[in-house]
Amino acid sequence: MELDFLATVLLSSLSSASILLIATLGLAVVYGLMGVINLAHGEFIMVGAYSALTATQIGLPFLLAIPFAVVTTMIIGAVVELLIIRKLYGRLFDTMLATWGLGMVFNQVAILLFGTVSPGIGMPQWSFKVGDYSLAVYPILMIFVAAVMLAFIYLLMTHTVYGMKARASIQQPQMAQAIGIDSSRVNTMTFAIGSGLAGLAGAILLPIIPATPSMGLFFAVKGFLTVVVAGPVTLTGSALAALGLGGGASVTASFMTSVVGDVFFFLVTAILLWLYPMGISAKWRRKL
Amino acid sequence: MFEKLHKNAGLIFPALATIIALALSGTLNPYLAFVATSWVIFGLLGLSLDVIWGRGGLLSLAQTAFYGLGGYFGAVIAINLAPSSGMTLIWALPSAAVFGALIAVALGYVIFYSRMGELQSTILSYTFTLLLWSVTQTFKLDVGEARIGGDNGLSNIPGIILGFGSEAKKLGPNEAFATVVVVTAAVYFFTRWLMRSNFGKIVDCIRIDIEKTELLGYDIRKYQLLNFAYSGAVAGLSGALFALWANYLNPSIFSVQEALLVPIYVLVGGLGTLAGPFLGALIIGGLSFWLGGGAAGGQTTLILGTTLILLVMFLHNGFLGALDTLWKKFLADPNDAARSAGAVKIDTEVLDSILEEAAAQAGPAKNLSTDEAFKRFGGVIPVNKVSLDFASGRPYSLIGPNGAGKSSFLKTCVGIYRPEGGKILLDKDDITKTAIFERVHKGMGVKNQKPQVFGENTVMENLWIAAFARTRDTVQADKTATRILGMLGMEEQKSVQASALSHGQQQWLDIGMVLCLAPRVVLLDEPAAGMTNEETRELSLLVRTLAKHTTVVVVEHDMEFVRTLEGHVTVLHQGEFFAEGDIETLRANDAVLDIYLGRGEHV
Repeated sequence: MELDFLATVLLSSLSSASILLIATLGLAVVYGLMGVINLAHGEFIMVGAYSALTATQIGLPFLLAIPFAVVTTMIIGAVVELLIIRKLYGRLFDTMLATWGLGMVFNQVAILLFGTVSPGIGMPQWSFKVGDYSLAVYPILMIFVAAVMLAFIYLLMTHTVYGMKARASIQQPQMAQAIGIDSSRVNTMTFAIGSGLAGLAGAILLPIIPATPSMGLFFAVKGFLTVVVAGPVTLTGSALAALGLGGGASVTASFMTSVVGDVFFFLVTAILLWLYPMGISAKWRRKL
Repeated sequence: MFEKLHKNAGLIFPALATIIALALSGTLNPYLAFVATSWVIFGLLGLSLDVIWGRGGLLSLAQTAFYGLGGYFGAVIAINLAPSSGMTLIWALPSAAVFGALIAVALGYVIFYSRMGELQSTILSYTFTLLLWSVTQTFKLDVGEARIGGDNGLSNIPGIILGFGSEAKKLGPNEAFATVVVVTAAVYFFTRWLMRSNFGKIVDCIRIDIEKTELLGYDIRKYQLLNFAYSGAVAGLSGALFALWANYLNPSIFSVQEALLVPIYVLVGGLGTLAGPFLGALIIGGLSFWLGGGAAGGQTTLILGTTLILLVMFLHNGFLGALDTLWKKFLADPNDAARSAGAVKIDTEVLDSILEEAAAQAGPAKNLSTDEAFKRFGGVIPVNKVSLDFASGRPYSLIGPNGAGKSSFLKTCVGIYRPEGGKILLDKDDITKTAIFERVHKGMGVKNQKPQVFGENTVMENLWIAAFARTRDTVQADKTATRILGMLGMEEQKSVQASALSHGQQQWLDIGMVLCLAPRVVLLDEPAAGMTNEETRELSLLVRTLAKHTTVVVVEHDMEFVRTLEGHVTVLHQGEFFAEGDIETLRANDAVLDIYLGRGEHV
């Protein structure tokens, strides 16, 4: 096997893992800081993708369409938190069912508004060569985007008042309330940020993955598994799990078919959960 | 009269519904009969989720996976055998049930035997369904006459045929409806019987408090797996009924929309009621039949998604749950007796005879010893190379300031915490790596710091399930539980729900459950917490009597209580052994006083 082929596989697998991580981070933040699994996460990605698509269709440049998508999904996220999630605090499985229903509603609304097929937007046509193989620049750029998003969330959690409050609220809810943190407001903010991250994912990945009403499912499944495998230390755990699972599946898929890649993903998840029933980070000392 | 009706509501009303359905089946409009058959089948699928979720406590989103796989498997068998044998049910139903159960066992083994977290289990079951959805789109296979054609599906599935021989005819919609009702009723009544049997009682306990159930000595993984297998079998069977009803299957059976429906049926009807899913399927099916364009048309997804959100938020117990709450308001409250509870009075003679009987059945007391036991949580080391020996004869007390590692030491001995180093021995038996329930089998009995009782169950049921864990014999368990109940002076409260008891009474009930196990080593973590002075005195008497027959270790904060035990006292400090002796010597020990009062160089 030639070195250039290996390098190509490695780079594109790293890029797939990064795409998975981008799509998962919002879910991980909401789970890590609220203890809530948002089964509508994939649909928030879809909303982000359609927002960005609509923005470009009315003439906004793509770079401005991304923040537009983020703001749209953040607003929707905040409303959902206020109307639904807030009523279900402490009921993990009820929250899951409610957000599941919500995802279906979003999905159906998208079908009504946009139909089942929609035009993609062209991917920037830059590419570069590794040996005999040509690689598109945009997917490789996602490695960089994922790293920036990780760093952004890390700073948000550790260096802002909101981040401190959010971490206090999840670790010691009563104590946080007792010292005057309005944890409901913090949670609304957290859910909005999580939704915004999903929107960002949908928008920034739009050139690679075109908007369709059911696109959420594609991300959601792997996203859920990534977060669940990651366990309580959501941020670092998710980054590692995304790298291992997403990268591994991508390597497998590039040698065999994409279905085999999916099966690989599922089996490795099952094995990891067998070895670490509470997630790989269950016994870590770090908290982010 | 009404009390009896309430108690047997799950038997009488479903029986009535079955009779009415059968009586109507002949005169029903054939198209309505055809559609209504699917509601019954969906209700059966809902029942399979209620078994594992409402009773077993695991929200499984893989029910449609078992349903679909069972359907495919049963259909393939029916296609191949129907032309010659006629009868489709006796082939398709059992094979689909077995196949569904096998798949559930494979998935359940991973979930339960690795002791996976709740969230992890639910997500894994969900992704299993979605994985099937993507794999079956392209999965093509010919089995004999049957052609599984990827997203083209599997067609030419024979209908419901009851007669034998190649001339037997497919039933018309009305007869098919009646047949499905009969099969479903049989499954429902069997499920109801199963869930009320000893097996069902244990499954209920696992849902209420999984740790306590294992501390009673039940191998929880086995029961969870069996329950999951049963739920998979019911789902598989309903899948085969669906395949015969629809004459066609395709991968959309594994879709999210399909999976979404199952918890909706259960929630509409009432979680854990067993009959609820049928009511749910009837309501949802009826609504979309009379209001919308059938089960698949219109904006069903939109309506269902909204319904699910509203149900979870506003009607969490479903129709049957709400009805039950309403009905109970008109019945006498059995928990009234909790308020008239008398004082516990330990009769040492009765206790002695109970303990002698236990020794005769379970063997002599066992020594518990630890050898350099070591447990670490990140930077904290709550148990740091502790070597202690405990034997019967007199009680052992563990004392120490908050954070000394007393409870952690006890939890390490029981197996709730797995030590990183050192050994734990029961007599000469190394139990360091043994599972909790096996330690209980070997004779360990544990009461944790918080009283652990099955709050939804009555006092008698609590004691019975503990006694049954040891005796595995209904009559024996009745006898043991009744004796302990008498000793605790709780006869008046035997039908009271444990959650209605006061904190002190729950402590007694928990201790009673431990006694039902006839343990050879008893570990009690702060048994006197929440008890009155009189009760504490009785407790002291109980512990001293107990220590004559078995090995007893007590963790306690109440120094007065420790003094009355007149036993051996060990002081732990920051996870390490600090001092030992009788309480008077320790009271005179300056170093011990230092750590308790937080003064001097020992802090």
